[in-house]
Amino acid sequence: MTSGSEAVLFWILAPITVAGALGLLFARKAVYAALGIALAMVNLGVLYLALGAPFLGVVQVVVYTGAVMMLFLFVLMLVGVDSSDSIVETIKGQRVVSLALGLGLVGLLGSVIGQVSVGALPGEPKSVTDNGHINAMADLIFGKYVWVFEVTSALLITAALGAMVLAHRERIGERPTQRAWAARRVRTGEHVAGLPAPGVYARHNAVDTPALLPDGTASELSISRVLAARDQIEAPQGYAEISREMEQEITEGSTR
Amino acid sequence: MTTVSTVVMADTFTSASISYSALMPMLIVFVVALAEVLVAGFATRESRHALQVGLSLIGLLGALAALLLGARFHQGVTASVADAAGSRQLGAVVVDGPTIFLQAGVLVLALLAVLIMSERLGGIGADAFTPMGAANPGSVQERAAQRAGLTTSEAFPLMMLAVGGMMLFVAAGDLLTLFVGLEVLSLPLYILTGLARRRRLLSQEAALKYFLLGAFSSAFLLFGAALLYGYAGSVYLSEIASAISAGQPDREVLLVPGVLLVLVGLLFKVGAVPFHSWTPDVYQGAPTPVTGFMAACTKLAAFGAMLRVVYVGAAGDRWNWSVVVVVIAALTMIVGAVMSVTQTDVKRLLAYSSIAHAGFILTGVLAFDVTGVSAVMFYLVTYGLTTIAAFGIVYLVRDVQSGSEATHLSQWAGLGRKHPVAAATFAFLMLAFAGIPLTSGFVAKLGAFGAAVGHGGASGAVLAVIGVLSSAITVFVYVRIIVMMYFTEPAENAVEVVSPSILAKVAIGFCAVLTLALGIAPKLLLDWAANASLFLS
Repeated sequence: MTSGSEAVLFWILAPITVAGALGLLFARKAVYAALGIALAMVNLGVLYLALGAPFLGVVQVVVYTGAVMMLFLFVLMLVGVDSSDSIVETIKGQRVVSLALGLGLVGLLGSVIGQVSVGALPGEPKSVTDNGHINAMADLIFGKYVWVFEVTSALLITAALGAMVLAHRERIGERPTQRAWAARRVRTGEHVAGLPAPGVYARHNAVDTPALLPDGTASELSISRVLAARDQIEAPQGYAEISREMEQEITEGSTR
Repeated sequence: MTTVSTVVMADTFTSASISYSALMPMLIVFVVALAEVLVAGFATRESRHALQVGLSLIGLLGALAALLLGARFHQGVTASVADAAGSRQLGAVVVDGPTIFLQAGVLVLALLAVLIMSERLGGIGADAFTPMGAANPGSVQERAAQRAGLTTSEAFPLMMLAVGGMMLFVAAGDLLTLFVGLEVLSLPLYILTGLARRRRLLSQEAALKYFLLGAFSSAFLLFGAALLYGYAGSVYLSEIASAISAGQPDREVLLVPGVLLVLVGLLFKVGAVPFHSWTPDVYQGAPTPVTGFMAACTKLAAFGAMLRVVYVGAAGDRWNWSVVVVVIAALTMIVGAVMSVTQTDVKRLLAYSSIAHAGFILTGVLAFDVTGVSAVMFYLVTYGLTTIAAFGIVYLVRDVQSGSEATHLSQWAGLGRKHPVAAATFAFLMLAFAGIPLTSGFVAKLGAFGAAVGHGGASGAVLAVIGVLSSAITVFVYVRIIVMMYFTEPAENAVEVVSPSILAKVAIGFCAVLTLALGIAPKLLLDWAANASLFLS
C-alpha cells in the first residue's frame, strides 16, 4: 500500500470482491452465481486501474465482465434460468474432504506468498513512461511474444471448430413445408385442426395460460412444453372463475 | 489556426528474431491444419475423407522432412530477444537435440495414429468418429445422419492442431509458451474424446471430465508460472535458472511452490498419481484410435516439456523439491500396477498400465543426468509405438452382433484360436509392455532404471527397486490377457477381428516390428537419443 487513498479504495473493494467470488461458490441459482462473478471482475478491474494499469483494467471490464459474463448470462437464459445443479454427493464425504484439502492449499499458498517481501517497487518500466501503456503492450505482443501470440490463433480456431462439431446440427433432408405438415396431420388423423390455442379468458389472454377442456381441466397441448418444463404455467382456474361470475352477472342483469 | 499535436514515439520496439527454417515443421503442421479446416467446410462430402487423410499424411511427412533436413541445421533459440544485459538470446522456442528428437517422435507417432484413425471399415468416413457430434446419443437424428452418410471429418484438423501444440510444447523456452502449447495440444483432445461413434454417452462424459480436470490443471500450471515469475522476474527458463543460481533471499519461498505447481500441470498430462483419476475414464470413453494417439503423443509431449522445465529451469534447486516428485513417482508405479490387476476392461487396463509406465518414465526423469534424458526419450518413443499398435488392435476386436468394440476382457477368451495373427501381435505387445527381453520395453526400462540407479542417488535406487517390483506385478496382468486369449474356451458371445484396410495393417505391423527391432538392435535409436540429450539453455 503506497498511499492512504489507495489503501481506502483497496479495503472497500477487496471485501466486495471476495463476497462476489464467494457468491459464485454458494449461490444456488446459476444467474446469481454469474452476477456474483461479474461483480468480482468489475472490482478487480477497478483495482487494476488503481494500480496504474489502465489497459488491463479496461480490458478486464470490457472483455470479462462485458463479453464473457454477459455471454454466459445469455446462455443461461437460453438454457433456462431455473435449471439448477443437482447437489447430491455421489461419493460419500467428498465435499468435506475437498473442502479440507482446498482450505489446506489456500493456507499453504497464502502463508508462502505472505512471507515474500518485495522491497521497494521499481516503478513503471521505461517503455511505459516513454510511450504509454498501449504501446508498451504492443511492443511485447508484437516483439518478444510474437510467436506465442500467433500460436494463440490455433486456440481460437480449435474453439470455433469444436463449437461447430459439438453443437451444429446439419439439416438432413428437406425441411417439411406447411403443406406437408397439413397432409401428415390429415393422414395420421391426429390434431387435424392443429393444436389447441392457449386459453382466452374474459380478463386474461397469454401463452402461459392453458385452455380449458369441456370438463374444466387444463389442456396440456395448448401450451409450449418449454414453459411447462420451466414450471412457468399460470393456473387458469382463477380466470375461469371470474368469467363465470361475469356471465352470471350478465344473466342476472338481463332477467331483471 | 490549429495546432497539430504529434505523439513523439521513442524508438523502443525490438522485434524478435525469428528463424523460419527452425520453425518450419510447426508452421507446416499448422498450415495443413488450416487447409483441412477449409476442406471440412468446402469439399464435397464424398471427397472429404480422402482429402483429409491425404493432407494429414502429407503435412506430417512434410513436417518430418523439414525437421530432419532443415531445422536440424538451425539449432538454437528462435523467436528470441536479447536479455537485459544483451549478453545472450532468450528464445520462446528452443530448437536443440531433445526438441528435434521429441518433435520427430511426435510426428512419426502421429503419422501412425492417422493411419489407424482413418480406418473406414467399409463406411464413408472414419469408423471411429460419430457421424454427427451434435445429435443426441441414440436419437432419430443420429440415425438419420448415419444414413445420410455424414462424417466428422473435422477430427483430422483437430488432430493436426494437437500435433502442432505438442511440437511447441516440447520446444517451449519460456513458461508463457509452455502454457500456450499446453492449451493448443489439450483443447483439440478434449473435443476428439467426445466424438466416439459407439457408446457415445461414455465418450461425452469422458470429454467433459477431461475438459474440467484439464482446465483445473492448466490453472495450477499458470499459478506456478506466476509464482516463478515473481521469483525470477522473468518467464524464460534460462533466466529462472540464473536467478536460482544467483539466489533471491527475499523471495526464496516462491520458488518451491512455483516449481511444484508447474509440475502439477505437467504431471496431470502424463497421468501421474494423484493426478491420474481422469486417465481410465478418458481412455475408455475416447474413440480407440484417439486413445492410442493420446496415450502415445500426449505422454511424449508432456514428458518432453517436463524434462526441459526440470533440467533447464529448476534443476539448481532440485534438493528442495525433488523429494515430492520421488514420492509421486513411487505412488504412480505402485497404484498403476496394483489397479491394473483388478481391471476387467481392456481399455481401462491399458490406461492403468500407462499410469504405471508414467511412473517408470518419471524414475528416469529424476536421474538428473544426460543418461536420464536419453533414457526417457528412448522410453517415450518405444512406449508410444507399442501403445499405438495395442490400441489399434483393441479397435479391431469387435462384437459380431453390435459391431462395437469388444473391450470386456472375458470377450477376448479364445481369440488366439480364431484370429492367430492379431492375438499373437497383441500378446507380443503385452510382453513389450511388461518389459520382457527381446522387446523394446526391456531396453527402455533398463535404460530408465539404469539411469536412476547410476545417477539418482539413494532415492533413485529405491525408485528402481519399486519399479522392478511394479513391473513384476504388471507382468501378471499382461500374462493373464495372454492366458485368456490362448488357454481359455471361447466365450458365448462371439467376437471377431475385423479386417482393416492396408494402411491400418501397415501402421500396426510397423509398430509391432519396430517394437521387436528396438528390442533386438536398439543401438541406432539409443545412439541418436544419447547424441540428442543435451539441452540448450
